[in-house]
Amino acid sequence: MTVRTTRLSALSRASLVGVLAAIAVPVSPANANKDPVTPQQLQAYEEAFMEQVKIGDLLFHGDPATAKQMNVVLSNTGMACAMCHPFASDTHPQAFPKFQVSMNKFATLRDMINWCIEKPNQGEKIDPDSDAMKALEAYITWSNAGSVLVPGKY
Amino acid sequence: MSDLERERREIAAALQQPGVSPDPSLRLTRRIFLHKSCILGAATVGQTFGWWPLLNTIDVAYAAEEPFKFAWISDTHLYQKSVNTRFVEKITRAAKEVQAMNPPADFLIFGGDIAQLGKPEELELGVEILKEVKAPQHFIPGEHDWYLDMGAKWGQLFGQPHWTFDHKGVRFVGLDTVSRGPDYWTARKMSPEERMDHMADLDGSVAGPWAGVGRDQLDWLEKTLADWDKSRPVVIFTHNPLYEYYPPWNFWVRDWREVQAVLQPYANVTNIHGHVHQVLYNEIGTMRSIGMLATAWPWPYAPEGVPKLTVPMIRADPGDFYDGVGWSDISMKNDRIENEYIMWGRKQVFVQSAPDSSLSQPEVLRPRIADRIGPY
Repeated sequence: MTVRTTRLSALSRASLVGVLAAIAVPVSPANANKDPVTPQQLQAYEEAFMEQVKIGDLLFHGDPATAKQMNVVLSNTGMACAMCHPFASDTHPQAFPKFQVSMNKFATLRDMINWCIEKPNQGEKIDPDSDAMKALEAYITWSNAGSVLVPGKY
Repeated sequence: MSDLERERREIAAALQQPGVSPDPSLRLTRRIFLHKSCILGAATVGQTFGWWPLLNTIDVAYAAEEPFKFAWISDTHLYQKSVNTRFVEKITRAAKEVQAMNPPADFLIFGGDIAQLGKPEELELGVEILKEVKAPQHFIPGEHDWYLDMGAKWGQLFGQPHWTFDHKGVRFVGLDTVSRGPDYWTARKMSPEERMDHMADLDGSVAGPWAGVGRDQLDWLEKTLADWDKSRPVVIFTHNPLYEYYPPWNFWVRDWREVQAVLQPYANVTNIHGHVHQVLYNEIGTMRSIGMLATAWPWPYAPEGVPKLTVPMIRADPGDFYDGVGWSDISMKNDRIENEYIMWGRKQVFVQSAPDSSLSQPEVLRPRIADRIGPY
């Protein structure tokens, strides 16, 4: 386990949620006259996504402060996801869902993430709908954003 | 065409001139088998699968005075036993198998990254386990061994990080490709542990292009080789490959052009390197280069830059801790140097059809984004 003391102070989640809520008010169902998306809205949506990508990046690279903050134990062997998957390579998010041989079942990317946490990393499986899982998924898919979708490919 | 691609083409044009290649006596032998199904596979994945060895060996010809063997182990990435017993089990297995070689190895090369975080107890654990091997041992450093205390403990245990010796008609050289990284820690006021952590991430961007040989060591290499017959074999051990494969993961040395300039007069040069944790083969100028397996875990091939001459290793099963990893049994006999990858649990090391290779699924990847967030 790496022992980086990186903080997530730069990723102020509370403030971002506030910004999104403020933007959302004018386009709520109460207002039937919807407006085209604004550059400010696009920026806010992008920031909301990239915040999760950064959290996922830190979890993926075994940052202990982030794991503690998210209340997850992704590894008990010193292994981090990135040790086998630099740049999230060889994770193949573009191929899921697919029949995953190592699990002997039709699996999603989230299933695969939990398999890696439990088997190679010998960590503790996380809730498939948890914030940590969504952040890991965001980082992996963002890293592979240029790859072509090939669902089902071995 | 990108700047990188243009630069690579210019370099290739300079170094791969017609008729310039490793000495003809160094040609791969024809222990190669073209499987019909493989030919079909090659049609789908292009030039990557140019040839298909039947045996998991690479044979290189040259004139040794008498047959002998040596062994290579590297990239054991040991934590303390209390953190990870699996890595301990694997280096222990490699050491026992090297000791059991028959005929025995004349010496063992340890190719760097004995430790994961450079801690004295990790380095000492490796030394203790490798005592199983009774033959002489020669060590070169990896970046994981170095950046906690800048090589202090490593030097205490293993001495000079570069060295040379002659053995039965071959000149062997060990080079340090890790210690000359640019200073990324002082201005950011990093602790030794923080410095080591950034170095320990293969895909980190903070440590930058740390792999290099350095002018001082190149001068030493030039002097070391000056009295050597230019037609006689030279084997150079390094942690990083002595050519440009994939700089973002330091699958290179940044001054590889200068290295090639020093080696160019020598016709029989073989570079054996670690760091990449994968089967790898390349030729550049008069030098051939062979990548070795780790014992700890396999790396995937980089998304670009894999040498066309490389026959990829088989896609490892992540559920089998002994798959995709191992050590090398290297023979010098009948005027040949033969590298046999001992990949545990696999009779067939090389891919036999396109789906067996991770390269059959092209990836377009982005570099990290969060490793520059921090208290610096």
